[in-house]
Amino acid sequence: MTETPVSEAGKPRAPFAPWDRRELPGLFQVEESARRVGNYKWAEMRLFEVLGGWVATVPELDVKLVLGRHTYHHAWHAELWHKRLPELREMNPDRLTVPPNDEFVAFMDAIREPEAPEHTIEKLVGVYRVLIPRFIAVYTYHLNGTSTITDAPTIRSLKFALQDEFDDWRDGEMLLQSLIDTPEKVDRAGARQVALEKLYLASGGIAGPGSLGEY
Amino acid sequence: MKKMLPESELARDERFVRTKIEDRLFDPRGPKMAQRNTGPAKMGVDRPAAGERSRSLMHGIFVGEIQALEGAGRTCYDFDDDTAPFQLKLDMARQCWDESRHCEISVKLGDHMGTEIGEYTESTFLFAAACNPDPVFRLCGVNRALEGLAIDVFSSMKEFGNEAGDPILEFCEDWMLADEVTHVKMGSDWLRRLTEKDPDRRERALEFQRTVDAIFNLGGFRGEDDENPIQLARDFRRLAGFTEDENDSLAALARESTAQAREMAELATAALDQSAQGS
Repeated sequence: MTETPVSEAGKPRAPFAPWDRRELPGLFQVEESARRVGNYKWAEMRLFEVLGGWVATVPELDVKLVLGRHTYHHAWHAELWHKRLPELREMNPDRLTVPPNDEFVAFMDAIREPEAPEHTIEKLVGVYRVLIPRFIAVYTYHLNGTSTITDAPTIRSLKFALQDEFDDWRDGEMLLQSLIDTPEKVDRAGARQVALEKLYLASGGIAGPGSLGEY
Repeated sequence: MKKMLPESELARDERFVRTKIEDRLFDPRGPKMAQRNTGPAKMGVDRPAAGERSRSLMHGIFVGEIQALEGAGRTCYDFDDDTAPFQLKLDMARQCWDESRHCEISVKLGDHMGTEIGEYTESTFLFAAACNPDPVFRLCGVNRALEGLAIDVFSSMKEFGNEAGDPILEFCEDWMLADEVTHVKMGSDWLRRLTEKDPDRRERALEFQRTVDAIFNLGGFRGEDDENPIQLARDFRRLAGFTEDENDSLAALARESTAQAREMAELATAALDQSAQGS
């Protein structure tokens, strides 16, 4: 059978299509990306541990089941970051799996503090009104700032994690809106949020000062 | 939040009614029930009160799934990174999600079968097995003993669903069965990894598993005879990594428990007869 040419195979094409606007470089060196990823892993670990621990302490069945599901989401994020670290030249991932500073440890300790079954609102406010919105912010900053070519594997993980964070934030916020059904509970939720935000502010963020860049 | 939550502090809403295992075992109605010869206890659609028994079992599965979820969650939280490796915690987090889905499935199946939350009581001894201070013991007690039992329960319920012509029950039990095989594998894997250089710890953990297995064989609940409501699912257990020796040993333990239950029932019946003659 005689082959009929259907395209000009030898014609040169640009390596980047006209619609592919990815650029070099990005905001972060390898070391800075790894440092941030280590901070993310530490925070995701502490988060999934406490969500798992709270499951047994919340009496509301719907909250209990949602926390069970979200425990895995954050564990999976921690695993993504754990696997990314050696690819960023950190062969001992534990070395970078650290909080950015003592103030952030104090913030996470405060998030994990509520235990009593009547403190579901305090538990959820800490995670869904304070911590997860900040995960969304710091992941988005990294996503928008890092090189879309050289750091593409981090970007792929950030996108997966962000999708979960948005979904989980919505789940948690809807649970909170259904639980906060009196003016007193509005006050409780507000007071808890203010106290935690002050602690967060003192830490500078999930990746420390400059978590969202410098002005 | 403190580490190591006692079972008495498990949080529940007001629908749940908790009972102790000893209350069940020493329920004075037990001997009278044993006097009634209602034929083999193996679950079957032709059994008296088959619907009631399956609904009760479904509720038992539901509360068991809640406790399995809580137990896996506590294992994520209770241990530092040195006592419980990161990868083990990841497995437990995955199990949280699986158990959470099982709770959802069980609630929907309960609705489907005509029961509701709180219609039957809850015993919390499953969570008690998940409270051991040694993570290896927890994994043996929960992932190998109790998730192994779950394989037997889901396999029996799946068969019941098939016999009853209930494709929804059969479908759901089959999916949960798949997850339980994974959970048993996790338990076996971590037992091997964490006790590789500590055979004494491994033996003690396996002894704990046998104790938990024995508790759940109580009264002949599980075994391979028609007298046992829940049948030992050897094929699925093999798939989950249990050896033939382990299955044989569990079957022997189950026969022993069934014989003890039979003996206790006969003694109780004799005592009741004697009491009736005296009155």
